[in-house]
Amino acid sequence: MKIFFAITAAVLIAAALATPAQAQETSLSISVKNHRFQPAELHAPANVPITLNVKNLDPTPMEFESVSLRVEKVVTGNSEGVVRLRPLAPGRYNFFDDFHQETNGTLVVR
Amino acid sequence: MRIVHPTRAIIAFTLFIVTVSVRAQDNNTTIFRDVETKYIFGFTEGSGIGLEGEKEFSLDTEARIGKQGGHYWASETKGEFEFTPNQYVQFEFGPFMSGHRIKDVTDLDNRNQVALGGFFGEIRYQLLDRGQSQPLAVTLSAEPEWRRIDETTGKVVDNYELELKANADLELIQNRLYLGGNLLYEPEATHDPDRLGMGWVKESKGGVSGALSYRVVPDVFVGAEVWYLRHYDGNWFNSYTGDATFVGPTLYVQLGPKMFMTAAWNVQTSGGDVNDPTAKLNLTEFSRQRGKLKVAVEF
Repeated sequence: MKIFFAITAAVLIAAALATPAQAQETSLSISVKNHRFQPAELHAPANVPITLNVKNLDPTPMEFESVSLRVEKVVTGNSEGVVRLRPLAPGRYNFFDDFHQETNGTLVVR
Repeated sequence: MRIVHPTRAIIAFTLFIVTVSVRAQDNNTTIFRDVETKYIFGFTEGSGIGLEGEKEFSLDTEARIGKQGGHYWASETKGEFEFTPNQYVQFEFGPFMSGHRIKDVTDLDNRNQVALGGFFGEIRYQLLDRGQSQPLAVTLSAEPEWRRIDETTGKVVDNYELELKANADLELIQNRLYLGGNLLYEPEATHDPDRLGMGWVKESKGGVSGALSYRVVPDVFVGAEVWYLRHYDGNWFNSYTGDATFVGPTLYVQLGPKMFMTAAWNVQTSGGDVNDPTAKLNLTEFSRQRGKLKVAVEF
């Protein structure tokens, strides 16, 4: 029996320690108005954590969502939300408003 | 009243869902967004770990059907709560129900029961992230389980199992075609299962799988998978007892922005049993067929 508990404990500890050390952070801002991201394309440097400030200027709630960024965040109407992103490899990362699926944007990481 | 066989009911339900989903999207959006790959390969698990802040509840049923002679149906239905606290790890836990319908099967007692089967937990850690320059993603998972009902015989037992997996997937065509694969190591121990004073009886299972999943319309993936499984006595692959190869189709349907279902059907196509060298299938450690149906709601 000891082996089960030992392996489980080892995996849990490894996962807890797995979050990488934070490098210098970059901040970005994006707005949503009339169910459109403004700007629709953001740019960020590779391999640094990113803080994305999402301003919802519409009266209705929106949900910032991206599978490749691995985040979802509900932002109520006329308010702001903060999305923290892990350091990313170079590439194009699409995001959208899950409550208004025609609202799309892209984060370009170089 | 005529009772519909569970297998036929699952197949009919699955065909209905696919037909409705494909028709609904024939003239609709053709945007193929990024996809969460965890559930698109059937029994094979993809590398996805969900989205930070996402929570999900699901009912996940796996059934094993057919043994040597008679009638055999054994299933476990997990009530899963899943959440992703950050962009690196995912946790799942919950209870599961165990069902057995066994009649006139060689070496097994007749049984017709549904009971609380036990509890499970799972942690998944994304080891390798997919990127623009490399389409491979890898996730490691560990799933401890405590069982009070033996998954094969349906007897009351005290069983501990640890399922360790490496889940990998490769994006072959962006957002359309994926190749998945798993490596499995699963030791378990059961306390005196036959009440003969034998102490802990230990066994282990190893396996490898390959799966292909194609997105026919934005909300529907269809595919196929192959599993090769080996069973041993002892926790460390000590003494080989038999193997089996399973093949079958897979299906994933996004039912709505926050709801999906996944289904798979595997048939044992070949197998070996050290105690019966003439056997073409291994029906001692494995079943003739196995099925999976999971319906999940995210919130």
